[in-house]
Amino acid sequence: MVIRVEARRGRLIIHVLNKWRFAWNVEPRYWRNPLIAAILWICLPLLILLMPRGLPIGPTTLLSALFLANVVSISAIAHAFQTIGTGRLNFGPNFFVVVGGYVAALLNKNYGLGPALTFLAAFGITALVGLALSPLTIISRGLYFTLITMILPFIMHELVYWRVDIFGAETGIPGITRLIAVESITDYYIICFYISLAIALTLLFIVDKIFRSRWGFMLGVINEDEDVAASFGIETKKIKVTIFTLTSGVMGISGWLIAHYYGSFAGTLWLDPWLLIFILLSSVIGGKSAIYGSVLGAYFVVLARDMLRPFIGGLALLGLYAVLLAALYLLPEGLWGLYRKPRYREYVPRIYVRRKL
Amino acid sequence: MVLHANNLVKRFGGIVAVNNVSLKINGGEVVGLIGPNGSGKTTLINLVSGFYKPDGGRIVFEGIDITKKEPYERVKLGIARTFQIPRLISNMTALQNVAYAIVGSKRFREKKMTLEEALSEAIYYLDIVGLLRKRDVLVKDLPLYEQRLLELARALATNPRFIMVDEVMAGLNPVEADNVAKLVQRLREEFKLTILWVEHVLRIIMRSVERVLVMNEGKIIAEGPPHEVVKNPVVVKAYIGEEVVL
Ligand SMILES: Nc1ncnc2c1ncn2[C@@H]1O[C@H](COP(=O)(O)OP(=O)(O)OP(=O)(O)O)[C@@H](O)[C@H]1O
Ligand SMILES: [Mg+2]
Repeated sequence: MVIRVEARRGRLIIHVLNKWRFAWNVEPRYWRNPLIAAILWICLPLLILLMPRGLPIGPTTLLSALFLANVVSISAIAHAFQTIGTGRLNFGPNFFVVVGGYVAALLNKNYGLGPALTFLAAFGITALVGLALSPLTIISRGLYFTLITMILPFIMHELVYWRVDIFGAETGIPGITRLIAVESITDYYIICFYISLAIALTLLFIVDKIFRSRWGFMLGVINEDEDVAASFGIETKKIKVTIFTLTSGVMGISGWLIAHYYGSFAGTLWLDPWLLIFILLSSVIGGKSAIYGSVLGAYFVVLARDMLRPFIGGLALLGLYAVLLAALYLLPEGLWGLYRKPRYREYVPRIYVRRKL
Repeated sequence: MVLHANNLVKRFGGIVAVNNVSLKINGGEVVGLIGPNGSGKTTLINLVSGFYKPDGGRIVFEGIDITKKEPYERVKLGIARTFQIPRLISNMTALQNVAYAIVGSKRFREKKMTLEEALSEAIYYLDIVGLLRKRDVLVKDLPLYEQRLLELARALATNPRFIMVDEVMAGLNPVEADNVAKLVQRLREEFKLTILWVEHVLRIIMRSVERVLVMNEGKIIAEGPPHEVVKNPVVVKAYIGEEVVL
């Protein structure tokens, strides 16, 4: 017999010519799922290019939606990580995105720094802003923290209108160097997708490494009960400040992507609550179990809006809201919960916000 | 001297929960601390462990002034505690609940331990309190008795020299309470611990402690060997109206 297939202990074993043997686990949870997910993610633009023509949504619209989904993913990963590591819900992540965007735009426009340098600057300066605000994670918790951070985007809004000469109000800052110089618009979209994907994957990889280390374990304890963490030797203040600072910097990178992708940056557009809603919804829909869910969530919200738009136009956000409610009702643990369920005893920090003030 | 607290004061709004309390505990001693409800026993523990900052007074541990130290620093110096209402991380397993105490301990950093080493050491502490078989059970699925044992294992895992146990026997049936009392005794000998043992009533720790402090309304009102304290009229008066007798 040339090929013989044998099923044993949940595995399919394929013998070829009695020489080679391939074993395959039937149960999906033993697959190398992170790898599969990454490959699917990388292949997404191909799927779109292979799409039949004449659909209500064209491939370029979809490609630019994918880019936006990556931008939201990056912020949402950072936001979810911050929520876990500080045990507090930041309600103004779009503030940090806009800070990063302005840093990139202004340094590029006024000092001619290229995207590579503005990348470092956007991360660094937004992280410094985060560091300056990080004492909030020590002096406030619960609803107070949420309220204080909620005000940040409004303050930024004021600043933008106060110095129109610098920030350009709603016209924004035009003429920013593009991420990459190419002729075809489709190529541009695809390359930008891969740049943002590379950032998102790197971020996921780092966060995953942290989660599996003793740091992740300590973050989990802080997230579940900060007082217990402190009573058992964990330096909660230091960890919270570090996490808040670094994740703020990462949100700044989202802003950097936006500024160099569109070639102009109008902060007021991104301070508008919709970006905030996207980031927050991403983790709700994704599930409170982990960071990976927020990527699913980000894709879900961005694509749901863009898919709904041709049908219900300006009401897309309302439609999204209905979908969200349905998701909350049908999937209390979010999209990620479907995957996590059989492994709940393997501790992974969940997003959990203390109600105690 | 292991612990020396001097004129500790803690106020909550109008209530003075701890009012000018001074106490000294020597190395190797097992000191009982009793008092009626709301007399400030837990608050005193919270002051020593750093959970609350005192409004006045000083705390010296093994010659080091710890009054201004953060809770995590105090654990590293060798002060451990249990909570009156078990305060464990309910989404983690029993093993993980001991493991983070090891990760936070001083030796974790000094010996450059890994997370895996911390987890295997946690097994040792679970075994000591008899919870080895429950290591992979989520804490929210454990009954009160086992949560109390787990609290003890977690406190031990920090490698303490001084441990404060807060009403570990409350809510347990007599057999369980007796087991816990024996366990605390055993741990004391095995790990050479100094213990501050808080209970609501004296009867259950009568035979286990050498010296008793009695608190009432934030003040220490009596002190002495258990059999003398029981007869002290001031103490008897403090407990009047309570159904449980000394
Ligand atoms: N965090 C707090 N905020 C306000 N008041 C508090 C707080 N903690 C304790 N108190 C008050 O301080 C007093 C002492 O409380 P404490 O918990 O120390 O008593 P206790 O001796 O441990 O009593 P029990 O036997 O019931 O455990 C009580 O009147 C209590 O209401
Ligand atoms: Mg108490």
